[in-house]
Amino acid sequence: MFRLQGSKVLAVDMTGDTVKAKNGSMVAYDGEMSFKKLSGGGEGLRGMVTRRLTGEQMAVMEVKGHGTCWFADRASEINLVGLQGDKLYVESSNLLATDAGLRTGTTFTGLRGASQGNGLFTTTVEGHGQAAIMSDGPAVALRVAPQYPLIVDPGAYIAHQGDVRQSFQSGVTFRTFLGEGGGEAFQIRFEGDGLVYVQPSERNTIAGDL
Amino acid sequence: MAFREVNSKMVEATVLPGQRLFSQRGAMLAYQGEVSFTPNLQGGQGGLMSMVGRRVTGEATPLMTVEGSGTVFFGHGGHHVHVIHLTGDTLYVEADRLLAFEGTLRQGTMFMGSQGGVMGLVRGQVTGQGLFTTTLQGQGSVAVMAHGGVFEIPITPQRPVHVDPQAYVAHHGEVRNKLSTAIGWREMVGRGSGEAFQLELSGSGTVYVQASEEKL
Repeated sequence: MFRLQGSKVLAVDMTGDTVKAKNGSMVAYDGEMSFKKLSGGGEGLRGMVTRRLTGEQMAVMEVKGHGTCWFADRASEINLVGLQGDKLYVESSNLLATDAGLRTGTTFTGLRGASQGNGLFTTTVEGHGQAAIMSDGPAVALRVAPQYPLIVDPGAYIAHQGDVRQSFQSGVTFRTFLGEGGGEAFQIRFEGDGLVYVQPSERNTIAGDL
Repeated sequence: MAFREVNSKMVEATVLPGQRLFSQRGAMLAYQGEVSFTPNLQGGQGGLMSMVGRRVTGEATPLMTVEGSGTVFFGHGGHHVHVIHLTGDTLYVEADRLLAFEGTLRQGTMFMGSQGGVMGLVRGQVTGQGLFTTTLQGQGSVAVMAHGGVFEIPITPQRPVHVDPQAYVAHHGEVRNKLSTAIGWREMVGRGSGEAFQLELSGSGTVYVQASEEKL
């Protein structure tokens, strides 16, 4: 069971099950725990090959045991996301922990990934269970409905879930080339039905400089 | 009760005539009333021997004495501040995490190597905390700093608590600490989980843990 203790600490009560968490993110535990390194990007040989090719390698550890384990990472805000068979797309650097019922994998994101400065691939989480994602400042979940597409700054995007199509749009005009850009040259457009998680802070992206 | 949390990163202290406060030098943000700040060369209480002791052990932080009557606001580096009230027991805390404490508390330096023998020595080296730690004892309150907020975990004899050395802030009570290692062949081949060393705290008391692995 995942629960938040404050907004920056994740407490996980475990009774012999396993939880996957970002390497080195444990701050304290009681009871008996063992930590084992895994490599993200999916299981098995196929997962290993995709990791090598995509560079979306997340250092993950598998935590197993009885008791309570507390996780935190660099004082980032933590958000809990419940999954009921749907898929969560999240940057590997923003994923803190997933419980035993979830599988992780890697997918191609195309141009969007490059604009975020995070590479061309992203991590997917699917199954039934809970995941904890991190954000710089408290994140908001914005709903995308068929009538209401959502446009997000690539630097502020952290994750999305549901049946959502994403496309990349640019507001580059001749002004941008003259150095008069508004700092919002690229955006990601989400259409469909789902949730998009946005943080109140922007990563450094190419788009932010234009 | 000298300290009052204004928000998560700032404390307000009431200074009355005849009472002293110690604070980290430069941590004053604002004050009202007639308050004087004098640098404390000795770096705390005790006589000359305590001063030499702190210098030698590397537990010396520049402190100042706050006296007078009025209110003083303390904060430092945008770190979260947590107030701990002591009622006669001893608080163990790293000197650089101390923001301010009441003059009624007795300050001392403890050799951590004396707990746990050789592993105690290793502990200090591995965790970067050094071999010595500061102790505060008596009646009064202490304001400690941490990166990203502090939460408390109770320690009971049945349930020892393990803490990441980088996330450890302070502890009080009847607590023994030792460094426990979980080094297996995986660490040797460079595939460690990043949790090779843990501080094992057992006994009865409270440990304060911060939500980050960053040192101050």
